[in-house]
Amino acid sequence: MGKDNYVKKVIDDLKERAKELKCLYKVQELLHSKDLSQDDTFQGIIDAIAPGWQYSEICQPRIIIRDKEYHSDDFEESKWSLSSDILVQDEKIGIVSVYYMNERPLADEGPFLKEERKLIDSIAEQIGSYFFHERLKLVFEKETRFQKEQKSEWGVVLEMLKRTDPKLLVRISRKMVNYLGWSGIKEAEGLFEHFSPIYKDKEELFKDDNKPYQRIPETDLLGISEEIFEVAGKYLSSKDILDNIHKWMKQDRSGFLSNVLENTGSSLIEISGAIERFHHLAPQGLELSTPREKNFRVALIRRILSDQPGFIHIAKKFVGIEDFNKLIQQVIFPVGSHGKLGGKSAGLIVSKKILEKSAAREPLLDKIKTPKTWYLTSDGILSFMVHNNLEDILEQKYKDIGQVRKEYPYVIHVFKNSSFAPEIVKGLSLALDDFGEVPLIVRSSSLLEDRLGTAFAGKYKSLFIANKGSKKDRILELMDAISEVYASTFGPDPIEYRTERGLLDYHEEMGILIQEVVGTKVGKYFFPAFAGVAFSRNEFRWSSRLKQQDGLIRMVPGLGTRAVDRLSNDYPILIAPGQPGLRVNVTLDEIVRYSPKSVDVINLESGSFETIKIDDVLKEAGRDFPSLSLVLSLLTEDHIQPTRKLGMDFKKDNFVVTFDGLINQTDFVSKIHAILNVLEREYDYPVDIEFAHDGKDLYLLQCRSQSHQEESNPAIIPSNLSPDEMIFTGSKYISNGIIPNISHIVYVDPQKYSELSDYDDLKVIGKAVGRLNMILPKRQFILMGPGRWGSRGDIKLGVSVSYSEINNTSMLIEIARKQKEYVPELSFGTHFFLDLVEANIRYLPLYPDDHNTVFDEEFFLGSNNVLGDLLPDMKYMSDVIRVIDVPNTTGGKLLHVLMNADDRKAIAHLAPLSESEESEGIVKMKVKESKRNDIHWRWRLRIAENIAAKLDPSRFGVVGFYIFGSTKNATAGPGSDIDLLIHLRGSKDQEKDLRTWLEGWSQSLSQTNYFRTGFKLDCLLDVHFVTDEDIEKRTSYAVKIGAITDAARPLPVGTEIKKKDCW
Amino acid sequence: METKSYNPFLTAQQQFDHAADLLELDETTRELLRTPMREYHFNIPVRMDNGTKKIFRGFRIQHNDARGPAKGGVRFHPLETIDTVRALSMWMTWKTAVADIPLGGGKGGVICDPHHLSSSEQEQLCRGWVRQVARNVGPNLDIPAPDVMTNAQHMLWMLDEYETIMGGHYPGFITGKPVGLGGSLGRKEATGYGTMITVREALNELDVSCANTIASIQGFGNVARYAIELYQKMGGKVICVSSWDNEEQKSYSFRKKDGIKLEELNSIRDVFGGIEKSKAQDLGYEVLKGEEWLEQEVDILVPAALENQITLDNAENVHKRVKIIAEGANGPTTPDADKILDKKDLMIIPDFLANAGGVICSYFEQVQSNMNYFWEKDEVLGKLDVRMTSAYAAVSDFAHSNQLNMRDAAYVISIDKVAMACHDRGWV
Repeated sequence: MGKDNYVKKVIDDLKERAKELKCLYKVQELLHSKDLSQDDTFQGIIDAIAPGWQYSEICQPRIIIRDKEYHSDDFEESKWSLSSDILVQDEKIGIVSVYYMNERPLADEGPFLKEERKLIDSIAEQIGSYFFHERLKLVFEKETRFQKEQKSEWGVVLEMLKRTDPKLLVRISRKMVNYLGWSGIKEAEGLFEHFSPIYKDKEELFKDDNKPYQRIPETDLLGISEEIFEVAGKYLSSKDILDNIHKWMKQDRSGFLSNVLENTGSSLIEISGAIERFHHLAPQGLELSTPREKNFRVALIRRILSDQPGFIHIAKKFVGIEDFNKLIQQVIFPVGSHGKLGGKSAGLIVSKKILEKSAAREPLLDKIKTPKTWYLTSDGILSFMVHNNLEDILEQKYKDIGQVRKEYPYVIHVFKNSSFAPEIVKGLSLALDDFGEVPLIVRSSSLLEDRLGTAFAGKYKSLFIANKGSKKDRILELMDAISEVYASTFGPDPIEYRTERGLLDYHEEMGILIQEVVGTKVGKYFFPAFAGVAFSRNEFRWSSRLKQQDGLIRMVPGLGTRAVDRLSNDYPILIAPGQPGLRVNVTLDEIVRYSPKSVDVINLESGSFETIKIDDVLKEAGRDFPSLSLVLSLLTEDHIQPTRKLGMDFKKDNFVVTFDGLINQTDFVSKIHAILNVLEREYDYPVDIEFAHDGKDLYLLQCRSQSHQEESNPAIIPSNLSPDEMIFTGSKYISNGIIPNISHIVYVDPQKYSELSDYDDLKVIGKAVGRLNMILPKRQFILMGPGRWGSRGDIKLGVSVSYSEINNTSMLIEIARKQKEYVPELSFGTHFFLDLVEANIRYLPLYPDDHNTVFDEEFFLGSNNVLGDLLPDMKYMSDVIRVIDVPNTTGGKLLHVLMNADDRKAIAHLAPLSESEESEGIVKMKVKESKRNDIHWRWRLRIAENIAAKLDPSRFGVVGFYIFGSTKNATAGPGSDIDLLIHLRGSKDQEKDLRTWLEGWSQSLSQTNYFRTGFKLDCLLDVHFVTDEDIEKRTSYAVKIGAITDAARPLPVGTEIKKKDCW
Repeated sequence: METKSYNPFLTAQQQFDHAADLLELDETTRELLRTPMREYHFNIPVRMDNGTKKIFRGFRIQHNDARGPAKGGVRFHPLETIDTVRALSMWMTWKTAVADIPLGGGKGGVICDPHHLSSSEQEQLCRGWVRQVARNVGPNLDIPAPDVMTNAQHMLWMLDEYETIMGGHYPGFITGKPVGLGGSLGRKEATGYGTMITVREALNELDVSCANTIASIQGFGNVARYAIELYQKMGGKVICVSSWDNEEQKSYSFRKKDGIKLEELNSIRDVFGGIEKSKAQDLGYEVLKGEEWLEQEVDILVPAALENQITLDNAENVHKRVKIIAEGANGPTTPDADKILDKKDLMIIPDFLANAGGVICSYFEQVQSNMNYFWEKDEVLGKLDVRMTSAYAAVSDFAHSNQLNMRDAAYVISIDKVAMACHDRGWV
């Protein structure tokens, strides 16, 4: 082939390619042309295709799309064709073809070139893309149209707000700015400044222009809101915007509640109104964000229940806003009240909610009720006092306690003769209508009562009223009771209690609970089947098998007052709910002897609170005695049996309160245990509750933190003591407490005691202990000895003493030494032990033979025994009874016992009584003790010195004047007498005169002491006379003079008389 | 460390030796009677309420059954020792012998403190105790009864277990059951009545008419009240009773010189016999110190309350008019006081004999249970009178013929009876 031919071939090829490309471009151009209709476009393409083919003159294209066909007018099919399918998303929607009218030489594919194949495929593809795009465009268009509609919807809302509630629009705009800001939209940052001039220019912040920032006029703000939503429209979907607007509008409707609650100035009536409004709005869709709802709850708790953070923390988990709506309808408050309901009410409300919510998990908690209750807010007392011009009584607490005591009856009188403000009377009247004629109890619920650790148990009054008769009588009776409870705020007991605990300056207010008394009518009486108190922690364990967490129930038939208060002549039934099988009273004798014998009731006829014998009620009521079969058992000669349905003679048969039926046949004990467990868990501290049962339902009456006695705080046991420094340690059945500064130990040697065989000798030991109890310094000595002290049974079990023979000891220690093959079990169960607990005498069992136990027997047996000096006639028992004068033996040190129940540890160690005492526990105790007792013993000492100084020794034949006992030892309390020892060397007449002279002193001092302390003593002076002969023979109290231990202290006599003589 | 603790068994043996000396018993008999015939010591496993197991130590001692099946209580006591149980079983042998009932002496117990046990654990303990000794006790072998810290309920649990094991009804296995479930009528009267039957017999001997005597009683419990009842029926006049005041934790004596009235005091007492002080005053009673019951100018003193009431300290205060002290309570007179009273011109009817009414009635319960036929109360009390009278006569005759005081006579005669039974059976 020649060169020219080659060039021509190349040029022809290139021409062909150019034709093809031109064709393709043309097709593309047509497909993208927006101005053409679809028909025009495809007609154009038909025209554009043919020029792209090698034999364009005989080329006839055709495009079929679905049911449409495009071609030239003179189109005819032939047998020489090339086709390509048109696909949209893999679906064939048509076909592109070209036909040659006449035959042409064969090429790659028939007469067609391979490049032409590519071309037709490309065209088909282009057309496919075109249709795909068209399809998408439809979807997009639909979407866009919808978006446009949406935008207009929120626009309409905004437009409407602008016209109807521009302030709301501004608030919503503000929220939108925040929302945009939190969503991280930069543009929003610029918008913040519209709402706060401060943001306008940071420099301005630091300028002190002394002129107020400019407020932005509202109309401007409306303009700004448009700006804000323009930004929002850019970045947020319409739906997002609309949803937010909806939400914020709903939330805005609860704003009134927020305003009222957050404003510390808003009064209870405003809060009450707001809660009510909230309640009515709620069903119409009042939406609260979780934080906002929580905030409301907390605010309500703080304003109405308590502002103690610890309390709020718990309450907020259980009390909802809706609960307050129900509650507030039963709250009576003075105009403009800012009061709360007080501790008792708050505790009860929250506890009830806790039980309700926990019932889902613990079916035992289901259907535990609280009695119907109305509340009078804590500031009711202030309004009452203002109403009656009694404000000056508020100063009462800063008066001398003696004066407070003296004036208290007057305060009661005045309060009971004062009137209530009309709105309170109206409220009380409403309450009475709600209650109907049922007995009520008016209980105190003071602000101080809800503070953890200050139990105020029984410090303020609770009064029962029968609530029978005409409405007028009932309301008068109710108001009388309320004013008496109010007056008790100014009683000497609570004021002294507050002084001791540093709570005097705390602003105390007294709320009131008016509660329906749980019970049933039995003849003329009204009382619950049974009632009592329960503690989640058992501090009263009578068996070594009981654990603290087994809890304790003290219950009685009738009103719970007999279970709450300690009674000298009657006993509540004690049950440890964790182990109800372990009873305090086991033998028949014990069960009968220590069962409740009386019930407290409300006498509906006389309207008074009465105590009556159970036997008497039974004789009258017989089978109508509430829950008879649960409360009582039948006592036959030597047997206790369940009561029976028939065949009992209530006039003749003996019954005994055992609660056996209740314990064995009902889930009551498990219920109480569950209540205690749940409440302790949720409050996260030990609780005590009061409850009552009317035979049908169990009612919770009160719940508070378990009160500890002052002295029973756990001691901090120093870890740095070596065993040599300890006298003994204990690790079983430890309670909490600190017994500091023990000066004397009475140790009955277990070994020697067990060797005594003679009954009289054993008895003598008990008597000797009783005598030591009288002469050793009160509450500064401890008793230690084998086995069970004061056992009613076998004297060999332990030293035979009665309670009055040990009542001055600060601690009783029972030593259980291994005897042959077993260690005797110490009894916690005796009522003797319970007496100790009640008298606050600490009890500790020691097991010297246990491992890791310190018991310094050498100290007890080796120390000098002063028994012979104290009781010369008992000297022969010196090897059995050892009396150790601790400071004399140890060079001035004292014994301190520290007990910590949580650590299960008790130690006794010797340490000086000094400020540098290493144990914090002791220091704390000392301060408290000295603070409390200081006044009493100092006053007594001053009196004694005064009497001695005024006494004319020659007139009465007095040669010596001594004090001893608690005044000398600086341990005297408010109920202590002054022990005087007077050495006489005169005639009988002189002695008689002296007695009369001292009698006068004694009586007037008793009166003074009563005003100071509230303790009534017949005679404050306890005078003992001794003669020369007594001193010589060392009989009776003469041993105190110059005694080896705890000797009486001489006082100078007649000093003031002499002065007079000098003149 | 060597322990020298008081051992009651040694004391009981010493007492026995003293009586054996008086009786000039031979060595073999002494050897037989100084120690129990049989002792059973065993473990009682109990499943406690909390699911754990605890092993308790139990005993049954049969001191002597030459005169009949052993009889004695089952004690639950935390400080129980085997020697205490031995001593008490020996005491029961003498007691049944002096009452002249065909029974021997036994005692049992468990080392435990019911104060630390639930009711169901105590039931397990009772049943466990029976399971261990069922083959060695029974109506014809050894008959348990209530004792320290056990009561009718425990007896019923034990009976039920025994009958379950034996596959039949054996109400005579145990005594102290409630009336209606194998118990006997007249039990609450038995001891007090018995005491006064011995007083009646003693007065007969002294040839004094009961109607001309006055008495002072310590206590106002079951024993005292029924003693007063019978004594008043016999025409006597009680001028003073003492009672324990539970509120004040001390006792008081109540005196009415023209005679106390039982019904009115009953109306103002509690179930324990505590008399309400103020109400007694209202009824015209003088309220005296607790120990003054002892000092009254009366013919008869009946200590019917607690042990160790007449002591070295107050024995001298007993009025010279007193002719009889009848010990209704257990051990009301201490040995020291006994020595003082011995020198006075009065007769002590020892507790052993004076309160034997209780054990006689237990015997009656067993007899009735064995035949499953129960007597009316009058029949029980009538039979009691016969038994008490003859028991008193035997002791009194023995005392007179051997110049012994009543206490020694009662003790010696009982040992003599047991020794003879052992001899007649060919044991010694």
